Amino acid sequence: MPRYFLRRLGQTVLTAWFTVTIVFLLLRLAPGDPAANYAPPNPTSEQLAAVRQEFGLDQPILSQYLTYLGNLLQGDIGTSFQFRQPALQVVMDRLPYTITLAVAAIAVTAAVAIPLGVWMARRGNTAPELGANIATIAGQSMPDFWIGFVLLIVFAVNLQWLPSSGFNSMTAIVLPCLTIVVLQVALISRLVRREMGVNLAAPYLTIARSRGVSERRLTWGYAFANSSIPVVTALGTRFAAMLNGVVIVEVVFKWPGVGELVVDALSRRDFPLIQATVLVTVVLALLVQLLVDLLYPLIDPRVRLGQEARR
Amino acid sequence: MTDAAVPSNVGRRLLRRSAAARKARYSTIKIWLGAICAGIVIIPVALARVLPLPDPVHGVLKETSLPPFSPGHLLGTDPNGRDLLSRILHGGQTSLLIGLLAIALSGVLGIAAGAAAGYFGGWVDTIVSRLLEAQLSLPLLLMLLLVVALFGPSVPVITLVIAIAQWPEPARLTRALVLVEREKPYVAAAQVLGLGRIKIIVRHIIPNILSQSLVVVFLLLAQAVLLESALSFLGAGVQRPYPTWGGIISDGRELFVTGAWWLVTIPGIAIALLVLGVNLLGDGLRDRVRRAKAVTG
Repeated sequence: MPRYFLRRLGQTVLTAWFTVTIVFLLLRLAPGDPAANYAPPNPTSEQLAAVRQEFGLDQPILSQYLTYLGNLLQGDIGTSFQFRQPALQVVMDRLPYTITLAVAAIAVTAAVAIPLGVWMARRGNTAPELGANIATIAGQSMPDFWIGFVLLIVFAVNLQWLPSSGFNSMTAIVLPCLTIVVLQVALISRLVRREMGVNLAAPYLTIARSRGVSERRLTWGYAFANSSIPVVTALGTRFAAMLNGVVIVEVVFKWPGVGELVVDALSRRDFPLIQATVLVTVVLALLVQLLVDLLYPLIDPRVRLGQEARR
Repeated sequence: MTDAAVPSNVGRRLLRRSAAARKARYSTIKIWLGAICAGIVIIPVALARVLPLPDPVHGVLKETSLPPFSPGHLLGTDPNGRDLLSRILHGGQTSLLIGLLAIALSGVLGIAAGAAAGYFGGWVDTIVSRLLEAQLSLPLLLMLLLVVALFGPSVPVITLVIAIAQWPEPARLTRALVLVEREKPYVAAAQVLGLGRIKIIVRHIIPNILSQSLVVVFLLLAQAVLLESALSFLGAGVQRPYPTWGGIISDGRELFVTGAWWLVTIPGIAIALLVLGVNLLGDGLRDRVRRAKAVTG
């Protein structure tokens, strides 16, 4: 186990480095000069040069990169151009909002999608299932920003039940969460149905049924237990992806999370802040996936026994 | 088939109600429903330049913010007096063009890389598989946004970015299919006959898996249209005043508070109908292709 864990940790570090390097290069290779955004209006070329020097942008790309990596190793991930404070601080201020939204969304998704998927698998090839099937396809066909707007128009503008934007009260989370959940439920419930379909048709289920095991136990204790690894993996991947910023939903609802932060930083070409946001969210997402991997032996005894047998 | 050909107790009605028959019928329903939904959007979009529509870019200033079903403007106008129907249809041309180019590119790239990885194995497989994994762990929308925001939102850049985002799916499927196909006797026969490896892949293996891979590529069209509209919405789309679906919605979002709900809702319905149509069609076709494969072996 420790060896496996160390290898996965190594892969995680490598992926994080790869991502950070790509982002760094893209930012430096792109046309356009960030200095223009931070110099006084109508800047002279001396003023621009001064700003560039202050941000270290006058150095060659390679030496900028080496400085960046060197600072990273010492735990310094840069200073934001626009906020003039450590980029890590800025990201950490926003992160709790994104995490709150992601946790709420994934919890609701799991609570709705798993029973729905199991129901669809048990009612395979019937008219109600066809209806649910088409509904889930429709769920993944709507642009998420559009779902957000429609919810806003109905619940915030016309009915005025819920606040439209920002994060002032607990009810503010309902609409952004709902917007995310529509797509996620559609995706996860179809996965559950597919996995359950395979296990419901397996011979071991027929044998268990012939021994008189109840249908409820057949469904949850047998078929679902055997489908749980792919389902948990998918939920983990989705959750990790949400930590990378539910960019669109945050922009629609003016949710003060990292997604909104990075869009703003992009338009101002705030290089250190973009790099910091990507680094923090990617590391978090990778850690979540690592945790999900470590859950496997707890969920599925076959994995546990396999590991013991290998020892 | 006559009743006499059917074994005694199993009548035609029972057969029709069997799971297999129902499954076949449901995939037909999906294909038809999908074709209708997609057709409602695609046909007018394709004909946008032929239909008698007002100019999508220059509006009439005395006809601003008209609601739907106003005379001369079926879907109403925006605050600049531009006809919404005309903007949606012309915008659809850009969105669909980007989508089609992107899936063509990602399809070719994905199928070629997947087939090479599956057939050759070894280091080719290692490289392709590592690339696929690395891309999975990247924050996708963020990267797309980054590239488009930095390199400029032109049609080639957006197309390329979407294609790169999408190649993993056909690649993974093709690789898996080729791994199975490679072990079949006809491949051994082709090898014995002295055919080159490239020739075996292109002439013998790919034709056998193409239908399944193409369905996945077709399904990517739905994703491509959604991605393009998301990018436009975030301001990283084709530039104003030229309309795209995401751009129209993004322009309308400041206005729906004032009651101009149609500027947001209607373009979204166009996107959703098209994507739903493509998804249903692809899903139905996938069921059908799988069944055809199962019957012929």
